[in-house]
Amino acid sequence: MDIGPPRRIIEVEPVTLPVPETLPEPEQVPEPVPEPAGPGEGAPERRPQPAED
Amino acid sequence: MLDVLVAPRRDTLTEPIVAWRTWTLAGSPDGRELRLLPLFGDRRPWPPREPHRAWCVRRGRHPVPSLTCTCGLYATHGLDGLRRSRDPAVLGTVALWGRVVEHATGYRAEYAYPQRLRLVCFVCFFLAGPDRGSPCEVAVRHRGGRIVPLCAEHLALCRRYDYPMPRLLEGAAVERRLLDTYAVDPLRRV
Repeated sequence: MDIGPPRRIIEVEPVTLPVPETLPEPEQVPEPVPEPAGPGEGAPERRPQPAED
Repeated sequence: MLDVLVAPRRDTLTEPIVAWRTWTLAGSPDGRELRLLPLFGDRRPWPPREPHRAWCVRRGRHPVPSLTCTCGLYATHGLDGLRRSRDPAVLGTVALWGRVVEHATGYRAEYAYPQRLRLVCFVCFFLAGPDRGSPCEVAVRHRGGRIVPLCAEHLALCRRYDYPMPRLLEGAAVERRLLDTYAVDPLRRV
């Protein structure tokens, strides 16, 4: 490719690289591990519902 | 050494330089695995989602690119500089950074990554130039992996003259896959 004679040297130091960020593949995302339920914490607490008018 | 003797003006920028470039294209038989390749030089594919780094094929012991060598990743200031591209498959803009040698009509860079891409029919490119041409109807996948996009008009011409077309892929699908592979935007207008 003919781009003519050289003129100058430029040092380009971009603050952010112009390359898209690579997201992890779905299978690489670790599954959230549920914490073991302690005594009395297994079932969600039922709160009294406010009466509807 | 001449780099030191000539002592050209040296500038520093904090934003990448954006310039123009063409590539050839290679892919798997189903067109899902695609890679941009340079039209000339070392023929190393451009890696998706990571910077492409230049190296000197002459194994010169100098910073790449050097004033006294032809090494580096090439791009042009404008589209006119690409008119003589030989059988391109992809036209686009490219970001350049690191050490960059600016020439009269283009650049040679240490690092590069494509920014916007589109398939081009090489016959349209040859006849009308890089800023014209019809959308690519198909992409012909040749044995060995080379992919040649064609517009509808030149696809018909190729059929009439028995241009070998071992496998035809849908042009729009190949372009979408190319954009996904490199995670870049389409080049709409030039």
